Amino acid sequence: MAKRILITDDALFMRVTLKNILSQNGFEVCGEAQNGVESVKLYQELKPDLVTMDITMPEMDGISALKEIRSKDPNAIIIMCTAMGQKNMVVEAIQAGAKDFIVKPFQPERVLEAVNKLLAA
Amino acid sequence: MKVEYVSPFLQGALNVMQLLLNVSPERGQLSARPQMFTTQQVNIVCGITGEIEGQVIYGMSIIAADKIASIMLGAPVVTFDQLAASAIAELGNMISGNSMTALSSTGYVCDITPPTIIRGSNVKISTVDIPALVIPLKLKDIGDFEINVSLQERKRAAA
Repeated sequence: MAKRILITDDALFMRVTLKNILSQNGFEVCGEAQNGVESVKLYQELKPDLVTMDITMPEMDGISALKEIRSKDPNAIIIMCTAMGQKNMVVEAIQAGAKDFIVKPFQPERVLEAVNKLLAA
Repeated sequence: MKVEYVSPFLQGALNVMQLLLNVSPERGQLSARPQMFTTQQVNIVCGITGEIEGQVIYGMSIIAADKIASIMLGAPVVTFDQLAASAIAELGNMISGNSMTALSSTGYVCDITPPTIIRGSNVKISTVDIPALVIPLKLKDIGDFEINVSLQERKRAAA
């Protein structure tokens, strides 16, 4: 069965791009969240195998959503996918349990490599 | 408004445009404006918060916006719809994000707000009363792209 992925990004363009990359490579995009609050809610409902998480978003940012999801499910697999590549952000995300950190703009291969590696186990 | 705040944005823009649009922009002469002001048709406004705060506006013509969105979406944009607008906004977000990484290496740690798109020329942004520096870029086969940077160091609370 296809692995299920929840996409989190406030930009429609980014959700469409990620959805295309993932669904064309055998993954099922089971949900799309537009901010951190939606992502936390959809994670509970959908129990996806993996979450992609933007950081700069309205309502609740991606770092807060990452922490909230991980506090409810310590096994949650979340990869950050953001334009903010500065060191303090990367360190904070990884310390909070993010499994990978992808800086935009990215190549589709970079996303697939990360997702394949994390879902192979 | 210090000139040193400008170079991270130039660096961010060049990096993102190379990776995303496969173009190497040609840089024009830096100029100053007493206030944040744009004469471009399509503008992306990004807020900067943290040790340095203010706003950055990326401005371009509707033709340039169409061409950029077409490259980003991998298909020609017929009408400038929500998806095309979102692509342009995301370009602004990526340049701002990459610029913050460059800025953090000079010792200033800042965050950005989600981008807003404003369409319509002769827009004056009056929320920040900081002079703006304008970096004009020329993108081959796309058109002009202008970066308005209006930033200041955060005022420390009095001890």
